[in-house]
Amino acid sequence: MQLFWQDLVNGILVGGIFAVVALGFSLVWGIMNIINLAHGSFVMLGAYTAYVLFSTWNVDPFLSIPVAFVLLFVFGYCVQRFVINFVVRAPILTTFLLTFGLSLLIVNFALLVFHGDVKGITTQYSGSNFSIGSVTIAWVKLWTLLVALVITALMQLWLTRSKTGRAIRAMAMDIDAAQLSGVRVAHLYAVVFGLGAGLAGAAGVLVSLSYSLQPSMGDPFVITAFVVCVLGGLGSVQGALVGGLIFGVLEAFGSQYIGTGLQDAVALVVLLIVLILRPRGLLGKAGA
Amino acid sequence: MRPGRALGALGGITGNANALRVTVAILILMVFVPMLHSGYYENLGRGVLMFATLSLGWNLIGGYTGYVSFGNVVFFGLGSYTTAALWQHWHQQSIVLAVICAMVVGVAFALVLGMPILRLRGHYFGIATLGIALATQEIVSNVDWLGAGSGFTVRPVDAYSTYYYAMWIVCAASMLATYLIARSKLGYAFVAIRENEEAAAVLGVDPTRYKVIAWAISAAMAAAAGAVFAGANGFIDPPTAFALDNNVFPIVMVILGGVGTVAGPLVGALILTAINETLWSHFPQIHTLFFGAVIVVVVVFLPRGILWLFNTRGGWKGVAGSLGAYRV
Amino acid sequence: MGFLRFGGLCALTVAGALAFTTAVPAPAAADDATIVFGAALAATGSTAREGELTKEGYEFWKDYTNAHGGMKVGGKTYKVDIKYADDESNPQTAARLVEKFVSEDKVNFILGPYGSANSATAAAVVERLKVPMVEGNGAAQSIFSQGFKYTFAVLAPGTKYLQGILEMALTLKPQPKTVAIATANDAFSVEVGGGAAGFATAHGMTVVYNNKYPADTTDVSAVVSGIKAVNPDIILNGGHLDEALLLQRTFKEQNVNAKIFGYSVGPDTPDYRKTLGKDANWVFGGTQWSPTAKYKGAAGFIGDSKVYAAAFNKKYGHVPDYHNAESTAACLAFQYAIEKAGSLDPLKVRDALQALDVVTFYGILKFDSRGINMYKPMAVNQIQNGNLMTVWPRGVQNAQPMYPTPPWSSR
Repeated sequence: MQLFWQDLVNGILVGGIFAVVALGFSLVWGIMNIINLAHGSFVMLGAYTAYVLFSTWNVDPFLSIPVAFVLLFVFGYCVQRFVINFVVRAPILTTFLLTFGLSLLIVNFALLVFHGDVKGITTQYSGSNFSIGSVTIAWVKLWTLLVALVITALMQLWLTRSKTGRAIRAMAMDIDAAQLSGVRVAHLYAVVFGLGAGLAGAAGVLVSLSYSLQPSMGDPFVITAFVVCVLGGLGSVQGALVGGLIFGVLEAFGSQYIGTGLQDAVALVVLLIVLILRPRGLLGKAGA
Repeated sequence: MRPGRALGALGGITGNANALRVTVAILILMVFVPMLHSGYYENLGRGVLMFATLSLGWNLIGGYTGYVSFGNVVFFGLGSYTTAALWQHWHQQSIVLAVICAMVVGVAFALVLGMPILRLRGHYFGIATLGIALATQEIVSNVDWLGAGSGFTVRPVDAYSTYYYAMWIVCAASMLATYLIARSKLGYAFVAIRENEEAAAVLGVDPTRYKVIAWAISAAMAAAAGAVFAGANGFIDPPTAFALDNNVFPIVMVILGGVGTVAGPLVGALILTAINETLWSHFPQIHTLFFGAVIVVVVVFLPRGILWLFNTRGGWKGVAGSLGAYRV
Repeated sequence: MGFLRFGGLCALTVAGALAFTTAVPAPAAADDATIVFGAALAATGSTAREGELTKEGYEFWKDYTNAHGGMKVGGKTYKVDIKYADDESNPQTAARLVEKFVSEDKVNFILGPYGSANSATAAAVVERLKVPMVEGNGAAQSIFSQGFKYTFAVLAPGTKYLQGILEMALTLKPQPKTVAIATANDAFSVEVGGGAAGFATAHGMTVVYNNKYPADTTDVSAVVSGIKAVNPDIILNGGHLDEALLLQRTFKEQNVNAKIFGYSVGPDTPDYRKTLGKDANWVFGGTQWSPTAKYKGAAGFIGDSKVYAAAFNKKYGHVPDYHNAESTAACLAFQYAIEKAGSLDPLKVRDALQALDVVTFYGILKFDSRGINMYKPMAVNQIQNGNLMTVWPRGVQNAQPMYPTPPWSSR
């Protein structure tokens, strides 16, 4: 029984990271209809930002989150405005290809700059933990979950309350009407993509606290983002959160009770079942 | 994918006739590669043929039918494992036997899984196929009868060039099949589904049935390629059989070459391989970097594929003008 | 556009690309006075780091040999050269590169890539092309169950990697009784785990946990919580550097304690200690070699491990780990075999390799009928206060094992 609770807690904790990783991906896909295969590389860049700040100036990784967010936001904005924009209304396959090429570019560039060896961030508080009964919780993982929740809440607030946020949602519903109402679509598209990148960067910092860093570290996170989006529903902040948590818990239980060798397979089979039974996900809008 | 206008621009359902003739000529020339007695060029050529076959398979479901699959590598992998299992458990080396069994396995897999997931639309189908490919890879890693995570070695036949000719036959057969299908009722049904699925249903085309057929044929092609590959490679394990490259490159190649045409896949495979090899020989350390840059440049300037370049009015000026077609 | 224009354009492009490829300056393999080796090594991809370590080992031998008069074969003196190409940590690419080295670049011999999968595909190619290959970085025994005659491995096979730790454990008091084993699901790691489990059971210990995890996993929480639930005396991992780091961190996070933590790969590499800091202390690692090994090598190369380590450190700025040493040893196998054969003929060199029996700074180089070096024992290292010390076997150790490992809370 102790194992059950420990696994549940582990699942929720890791689910928080999944949610933040998927949030940016979900927004870009839901609003702009772009499947950003370079999303994983943005996560990687965020992680390396934290690493550089930590190893050069001893900046605590949690403090690097806003830095990574801003850096990646600017980067994403430029990438969308000056590269992806040329094909943003093309069939989804075209942007799929483009982002694939971008991903190759970014990962290999990082390989040149940072080299292939495995790096990590170990702070004073790494690994410190506390126990509730027989369940052990690592402080870093708990703070990560809390930060993830805060980021998710902030994003939701901004999208619903701010002027830009509302313009973006209008644009997502009907791009021509939005344009006719004076919304600067090109700029807003870039903002959305920049947001997606910025969120990925923040997620990358959180990831760097628990995982090792390598230029190729971002690839598994794209798959995670896919699964979370399907589980929770596209383009919705709550969807990313719910999907992330569910996915985390599913993996934790699946790997423990069906076999650690099959942990990804379990989650993927669940994904398939969800797709067949309720394709729009748990919180997605019908007809999406 | 709705390249309705591109259909006309590319020259009809089989693609530009001249492009097709030239591509077939190149294919025929490729028969003679083993006579160069160069292991390197044979390897390279066999790779082109293998990718061309995978691309032709993808082209049927993704190009003609408009259902983008992100997981066709699962059939390739199953085909590879068929060859490996035939050798490990029954000591069979026959390539013909392997190809036939692989196609049966691939088609069966596609039929069984196709019924539920081909009811999904657009990108949901794509994600489902991706999920299937990943899940299958992991499940295979846990099946001891298939070698689990360690995989199997396969003893190649002594006349090694046989694998080249086998891959050539598989590729040529796939291309011929695509041509015949495109010009038959099947082909028109596929395109009808791609252009407007509801209208097609109203007109009496049962979408699910035809989608499953398309996917099953693409499965057969991919599985056949995988079966030949396994023997030539001498070794199969889950990461090799279900390699991401074999999943993504065919899509890139078809798009480069021209979606929904007969010649497109082979053209794309030739060009992408040529670019990759050239980059690799000259920039061994950063060739992937350049490769990414090449993809980005090509997609931005030629979003409808290279074959489109030969059909556009105004040649290069037409391309420059088209830069604005898809932007906001 | 007409048929001819299009066709001409196509032909031009393809021909141009091919010409481009072959315009690469051909390596000087035809040079009469140089022996050329081809080495497909990872410079990018998941094993880029290990590929780099392998290259350092090869290069060290090459530079040393050339600086000391080259190799004397059949009365003639030769310089040595090694051609490298990036196999991207991908077995297919490794096979293609080896094919290219032999059939296009016409190298004399092949030095092995990094990793069991890449070594397996390369072995299939050299068997077909009948060119000997010696490798020091592919330990899966499955490579050698094919009946291949042209591949030789200088390193102890995968099954032995963790057995040294268990051997040592049997001599410690209080003697540990229960063992938990977690392995990555790839050829090498599975063998390592299997070898450990078999040894444990045969020597009266109980294996209380034995599970595989996906080879490139990013999350091992389920494995760790499962291990914690059975409270073992010894925790062993068969895997690679990435997981060794991840597991050790997760053990600390979930407060999992054991008397011995042992890893097949990881503790030896400088990255491990640098990344984990003091969390790496007390960890044991199975190792093919350590700088304190007390072998006396035959003439023709540095015979003493300490001297090798010092010279290597001077050249590369870090103390060599066993990846470096086993790669140098692979070159040494070729050196002694070629000189004994007195010829560069592939078949003669192959036969000389099969009959090789020589002691080097790395240990004995001798191959059984399958091509595996079953004669070299694995040693055990332990990280003690940030330093890597050899603690087993007794004849080679330079420190006593620190046992048992204290719980996380009291470190």
